[in-house]
Amino acid sequence: MTNSRTIRIAAAIAVTALLAGCSASAATPPATAKTYTYKDMTVGFIQTGSESGWRAANTSSFNEDAKSKGITLKFYDSQNKIENQITAFNQFIQDPQVNVIVLAAVGTTGYDDVLKQAKAAGKVVVLEDRRIEADSSLYYTYIGSDFNAEGQKGAKAMCDLLKNSTGKKVVEIGGDQAASAAIDRAKGFREKMGDCGITVTATQSAPGWDPVQGKAIMEAYLKNSKDIQGVYAHNDELAIAAIQAIEAAGLTPGKDIQVVGFDATANGFKYLISGKLGADIECNPLLAPQVYEAALKALNGDNSVPKWVPSQEGEFFAAQGAATLQSILDTRKY
Amino acid sequence: MKGNRRIWARLTDSMLFLPTVALLLMLLVDAIFRPGFFTLEFKDGHLYGNLIDILVHGSPTMILAMGMTLVIATGGVDLSVGAVMAISASVAAIMMNPTIVGMNLADPKLFINNPQYTWMPLPLVIIVPLIVATLCGLWNGVLVSYGRIQPMVATLVLMIAGRGIAQLITNAIQIIIFNDTYAFIGNGYIVFPFALYVALALFVVAWLIAWRTPIGLFVQSVGINFRSSYYSGIDEKKVKLFAYAFCGFCAGIAGLIVTSNIRTSDANQIGLNSELDAILAVVIGGTLLGAGGRFSLMGSAIGALVLQTMITSTLSFGVPASAITAVKALVVIAVVLLYAEQVKNFTRGLGNISIPGFRGRGGSTLEEVAQ
Repeated sequence: MTNSRTIRIAAAIAVTALLAGCSASAATPPATAKTYTYKDMTVGFIQTGSESGWRAANTSSFNEDAKSKGITLKFYDSQNKIENQITAFNQFIQDPQVNVIVLAAVGTTGYDDVLKQAKAAGKVVVLEDRRIEADSSLYYTYIGSDFNAEGQKGAKAMCDLLKNSTGKKVVEIGGDQAASAAIDRAKGFREKMGDCGITVTATQSAPGWDPVQGKAIMEAYLKNSKDIQGVYAHNDELAIAAIQAIEAAGLTPGKDIQVVGFDATANGFKYLISGKLGADIECNPLLAPQVYEAALKALNGDNSVPKWVPSQEGEFFAAQGAATLQSILDTRKY
Repeated sequence: MKGNRRIWARLTDSMLFLPTVALLLMLLVDAIFRPGFFTLEFKDGHLYGNLIDILVHGSPTMILAMGMTLVIATGGVDLSVGAVMAISASVAAIMMNPTIVGMNLADPKLFINNPQYTWMPLPLVIIVPLIVATLCGLWNGVLVSYGRIQPMVATLVLMIAGRGIAQLITNAIQIIIFNDTYAFIGNGYIVFPFALYVALALFVVAWLIAWRTPIGLFVQSVGINFRSSYYSGIDEKKVKLFAYAFCGFCAGIAGLIVTSNIRTSDANQIGLNSELDAILAVVIGGTLLGAGGRFSLMGSAIGALVLQTMITSTLSFGVPASAITAVKALVVIAVVLLYAEQVKNFTRGLGNISIPGFRGRGGSTLEEVAQ
């Protein structure tokens, strides 16, 4: 760890030295004839935090891909606070080396001012994973999942799991209220849940996707009503927290209550294999290659990239059987 | 009659009076508005119900409050307990599953597939974080007693740095805990939740240290006036050092329980705002913040339960989890008002009102409280 950091610092110093002469031009839009390569790219990456296994895989995707492509990466962990992200944004805007800013937004609003400043400073902004509510002219492109479609997949998965159940009452443990992932997963679910008569009887959000809160929320649900057939949790960690609460209540997850989670991390897979998690909707965290590719196009003045590039995703069910799932898990990176 | 009045006066003067009344009031609200709140069931060989949830989730705050009581009694405060919880949690997690920091295991999926797998032996996984946490406490103690730095400032250092340290330890990645034995600490039951036994054991230890050795007296004396304590032969520096170290140790245990309970070590969320909960529990328990001196471990334990009852009840009422902090603020206001000298005088004076019916009712409240 320390080794790689020394190397990174050394690399950063070397790049600083190289760019010392042309730092001004690095900050202006790539109207000049210079063709950029990955080696000329210095990316300021504003990550949401480290709230889940998914996020860990997402972060390491950016680290590893930057290393192999020769990109200088400046990483900022905003600890799930919007104000930290704004600070980081200002920092990267003022940093003459940084020519690309990648944002995984904590919230959906509040970024307009910094986005305008970044544009004025000639920085390329690429959004990854989380969509925000801002004018699309303020950023180059958004690369990430269609959370609404994910929510619809979640509803379909819940329908399958509750096919033979007479009651179709589902409780929801939402992610952070400010996150687009949570908002759209809730919306998508509601769009499709009517197809098989599912009703959401209770819904609560876990601030900061905190599993401690998730567990407490599930405990409260279970005390208030015995009539629950499904749990719709907005990520694997919240789903697992719910599973702990269900087990403590003397019920069997996967039999008495069906649980649907998101992300399909290794952790979620483990619970799929044991049958406690009924279904897990994948949300691909390995977005770095697509993000870097788009950023390079932007630096070279290519405006053909659409404003939204969706990522490839699948869905997994406990019903696929432990052996199949184990073999899938063995090939996965996260 | 006169006896009644004296008992009333003594009770209202007792440090346990207000926290107990607060707890009973809160449970009363639950009893009226949430029928079934008190239902206890026996499931899979353990008790299950809202009251049990309060005990499980209240345990970490109770444990933190033990250490915090001693620190506050010496006239200080420890803001770093939440960060120390995160450190202890990260150390434990990394010792069970070091793959996250790039360590290569023979079989990388071993820790997923074997529910008993741990990289270091389990006793070490428990002991090392506690040692680290105690060292963190000692560090605070050294700054406060030998460095003569204001406790608020001295512990603020670790409060800010601690979470960073915890993130460095785990490489800023959440570590999932797969080990079933470790998960028992926060999730297991022996009729009652295991975490409750830990909290009780710690309470007994703290109580014995405080009242069966001279330390309790020393702590009070240092809190009231450290200079005169020094001149009467008490090594006030060592007393403070002990209080902070013990507080760190308590934070270590609380960190282990919380990670175990959710089977994840999350350097960002674990222990977040816990220092405020611990301080609040101590203040509800009647130990004066800032002034030092008289303290009550029992009061703090009840204070922790008051807080947790409030949280569990509000969740049960369906209040959004993010609004709980607002409810906590109401509790703070209520506490501050209740401890105001005017209100105290008023409750003390209630015993003197000579309306026969009222005294009768007052008498029955006394019996309830005495139970």
